[in-house]
Amino acid sequence: MADAPATTTVTVTPEEFHFVKYEASAIAAVVAELAELLGVTNPVHVVVDETTPLAKMSAEVGGTSSDATITIRAESGALEDTQHLTHFSADSARGALGRMMLRARDRLRPDFADTPGDLDLSLTENAAWDTYCAGRLARIGLPVNQQRFRYNHRNRFGFSDAVDAHFARLWAADDLGWADLCE
Amino acid sequence: MRQFFPVQDLARDERFVQTNMAERMADARTALDPEKKSKKSRGSSNRITPERHDASDAARGLMHGIMVGEIQALEGAGRTAHDFEAGDGSGDTIPFELKLDMARQAWDEARHVEISAKLSDWMGTELGQFAENTVLFQAACSDDPVLRLAGVNRALEGLAIDVFTQMKEFGNLAGDPYLAFCEDWMLADEVTHVKMGSDWLRKVTEKDPERRAKALEFQQVVDKLFSFGGARGDSEESPIGLARRFRELAGFTDGEVDKIAEMDHDAFEERMAAVRLAQEAAGASPAPA
Repeated sequence: MADAPATTTVTVTPEEFHFVKYEASAIAAVVAELAELLGVTNPVHVVVDETTPLAKMSAEVGGTSSDATITIRAESGALEDTQHLTHFSADSARGALGRMMLRARDRLRPDFADTPGDLDLSLTENAAWDTYCAGRLARIGLPVNQQRFRYNHRNRFGFSDAVDAHFARLWAADDLGWADLCE
Repeated sequence: MRQFFPVQDLARDERFVQTNMAERMADARTALDPEKKSKKSRGSSNRITPERHDASDAARGLMHGIMVGEIQALEGAGRTAHDFEAGDGSGDTIPFELKLDMARQAWDEARHVEISAKLSDWMGTELGQFAENTVLFQAACSDDPVLRLAGVNRALEGLAIDVFTQMKEFGNLAGDPYLAFCEDWMLADEVTHVKMGSDWLRKVTEKDPERRAKALEFQQVVDKLFSFGGARGDSEESPIGLARRFRELAGFTDGEVDKIAEMDHDAFEERMAAVRLAQEAAGASPAPA
């Protein structure tokens, strides 16, 4: 019988929200659920900027060991219910935080050692990595709108059959290194 | 068939969730950071361009807003064609030719709904994914048809000219073969709709300057609502630029467009002051992502 996965420690800042109707515990619950699904055992710290409705996110890992803390920074729009502004959406959070946790998990691999920090990535690098992450989330059963990511990919790389083939390759991949993503 | 249809009775299926300006104004967050004007900061420009990190999602959100706006414009033009009896334009009547123009506009808007729904699908958006702001139809609920012309055809369809021009530019810059093409065709219709509003407003109120003044005042109220937070104007802080040339073709004077730019600037300053107050009250210190 396989060992049960170690429980991930999750912390969320701020603990109390004033601009949006979010609960830190609800965000932590989504992260814990994702950690189990994705096999992430590192401690995770989520920092939400609730003063902006934008949706930029970044992930960084303080090392490559299994106890290195993953810090995910998210603008509040990334976790928002787009039908009910200022309200939290667990589905939106699963998609957005899931991509960041996969990025963090990738960064623990030796073949991602040379990857620039999330905030230093180019628009095309970001798009390629998002495609790669979203494809993997879709395959573990999370609701992901593939066309949304295809459109983003096309916006960044161009509207052509070759770009669509590039998208399909990244979407279907499971074991890429940073160099593969940048090809 | 029922006349004068209130906004709360609009027919929508379970996919759609409606909101209004009051809810939008209650959101104390802002996409802009007036204190942090570095070039790299997303807060230094709000214009929807492909260079934005969130360009695709911002364009998807705007396209959904266009789609529900087209549904309401269809409903509004249809109501105006039906709600008033044909006559000489005095009292509660409208000229028969104005009814025909409203019917033609409803037909245009129906086509725009289909185009926008297909574009939303192309961009990876599900119908109803974003909240539907019903302010457009609210402007089409006035008892006075001349106020509807001012509020809908001139103010809101004028906004549509700005939005479509912005989306067309976005499509061109991104190289999206469908977006730019579709927006260009819809833009041509919108210019016609605004022109119809400008022409009919002038004609129907020719001998009633008081009614005309009241209508133009209503137009400013609607324009101000749509300038909330500096939503469209000449500055980079505005997500949507003012399409001055197309507005001119639609019958706006330079003075009228300058007035909208001025309102946008004031609305931006008001919003920033409100945001600062809200941030102080919450004791929030933004954590940059």
